[in-house]
Amino acid sequence: MSEILTTLAVFWLSALIFYVLVHRGLWIFSDVARTMGMFMLEKALGPGIDLVEGRSGSAARAWIMQSVLWMMIGALFTFEGMWLAHDPTALHSLSAWGYDPTAETLAATGKAVTAFGGITMALIGCGLHIIPKLLGTGLASERNGNLVSFLYSGGIFVTLIGSHDPVILGLKVLVIGTAIHVLAITAIVINQLLTLANRADSIPMPAWLILLGLMAESFNLIAAISTGAIDDGNGQWLMYRLQGSGFFFLSLAGIVLYASSVGSGNALWSRTLVGATLLGGLFTLNPFGANHGNLVADLFGLDAGELAMSTNDTVIVTFLMALASVPVIAFVANAMLTIRDSSSPGTAGMAEINLGLLAMIPVFVGSLFVQTDAVSGTNAISGLSWTIEEMSRWAVLVPLSLGSVLVLYPSITGRQLASQDRARTAFWLMGAAVLLGLMLSLTSSAIDMALLDAGVEDPSSLSHELSVAASVIFYFAVVAMILHCLNMVSGLFRGEIVGEDTEVSSSIEADTYNLASATSVSRILASGAGMDTMVVPVGESDEKGSATDL
Amino acid sequence: MTNDDGFLQGENEPAASKVVIVGALVSSLIFMVIYSILYPGQDYPVLSDFETFGSLTGGIWFFILGAVFGIFSIIATMITEVTRE
Repeated sequence: MSEILTTLAVFWLSALIFYVLVHRGLWIFSDVARTMGMFMLEKALGPGIDLVEGRSGSAARAWIMQSVLWMMIGALFTFEGMWLAHDPTALHSLSAWGYDPTAETLAATGKAVTAFGGITMALIGCGLHIIPKLLGTGLASERNGNLVSFLYSGGIFVTLIGSHDPVILGLKVLVIGTAIHVLAITAIVINQLLTLANRADSIPMPAWLILLGLMAESFNLIAAISTGAIDDGNGQWLMYRLQGSGFFFLSLAGIVLYASSVGSGNALWSRTLVGATLLGGLFTLNPFGANHGNLVADLFGLDAGELAMSTNDTVIVTFLMALASVPVIAFVANAMLTIRDSSSPGTAGMAEINLGLLAMIPVFVGSLFVQTDAVSGTNAISGLSWTIEEMSRWAVLVPLSLGSVLVLYPSITGRQLASQDRARTAFWLMGAAVLLGLMLSLTSSAIDMALLDAGVEDPSSLSHELSVAASVIFYFAVVAMILHCLNMVSGLFRGEIVGEDTEVSSSIEADTYNLASATSVSRILASGAGMDTMVVPVGESDEKGSATDL
Repeated sequence: MTNDDGFLQGENEPAASKVVIVGALVSSLIFMVIYSILYPGQDYPVLSDFETFGSLTGGIWFFILGAVFGIFSIIATMITEVTRE
């Protein structure tokens, strides 16, 4: 049995055991585990836990605010990486301070900070808000969730340094960053599992997506370490894929589906499609991201192995990656049909969610080409992989996670954003940056690749000009993230308090509402009806109309 | 507040963060203009002694300065919002 299949089998088995344990509990150990868990989250931390507040929603708020700050820093490093790719000495003067970055180190830093800082923190923050809401309970420990956000940010900062200089004073910096990451995620997992144990209702499908997404990182580690896959190139590539399919895709799907319903005021369109997304996310391999597993090797302080699969393994992983189109299409269709005919289309964040959904399928197809090219060893289009990877991050993951954060911002913080206009401006800037900027980068890469294939040694001036234009346009993403940060920070203090406007609008209520066809309660409420409004069913007639007799 | 002529005095004020940012920007411009008039052709004191700022070449610095300006805007917003009465 191949190592790939063995690792996947352990991953799937872990998910199955988790599913059974959630339903059956830990038998006589349940109460002990719950008490021990709460002790570890709060009392075991001593006076440290008193550093942060424990009000309802404070943990989610801390995570989403820091996520946007990391997205801004990630955008800045990605921009600098793009610039230095065509102007390698642009930041040479910083060497006077001992800082001599290259295009590769800046791009790697941008990648790590955006994925692990911005996107991951947004997903965890939204999850800390959504899971308790869906389960009809409160978060087990708001204080721990709040405190851990700062620990996690510290880990991202260490990773940022390690991406520039992997070894400092003989210490592998990225390994320290990974250790902090695992510690923080473990605390969040325990917190969410204790919340799950306190549930008052059954577990809805989006909650399963978020929970399994959160647990997928643990399953991934168990599978890769127990089978030894973490040590070679194929296993490192597989770990990267499982993290993408498990944590990123499942968590993102759960959060976006919830935010789509909240932002649009419509009910989630289909539970069957959520089920297809959940099972598909677990049992397939998502092709988004890099076409190698070097990042995994770096994070765990291992030697990066070469990606060299047998024919059987190539067939298996290619099939599983192609099969990932099912959950991707199910998720996109479900979210799009949910936000269709929204009663509040101007809600901040809905535009970002729409952008991410629109970009998801084309980027999926591009990623699938790049991955199959890499695992088959052909490497004919590996020159496009960097841009496709950035597209999956900046055109799909960032808009979807950021959009969800913006939609849920009023519920989490209790206040509206400072300015809806600023949010709209930031959306257009980011849309231009990720679509136009990265398309130009893709064109430039394609020209370089074609010249390389043709054996032309002189660099193309057109390719150079396109890469310059791409980096300049991508700068809009930096500006957009700065505007989002300002908007969210100001909103915390001077945003309109949620509920105030509702009271005003409720003073003008319709006495009766004529119901001509099936509609949702949210639409009836949006039309000005209140709790005392009489809903009057009216009949429809197909008879031909005629002049009224006077 | 009104008087007999119907003059109206509003109560709104600009955000403190914007006042700080505009103040810093105007002060910097005034300093640079006055310095270039008083000491034409000479480097700025202290700032130009740093190798980094003495040889800023390439357009990337305009973009980085813009991002630094944005980051300081966020910090200024945090500080002024927290300390606002």
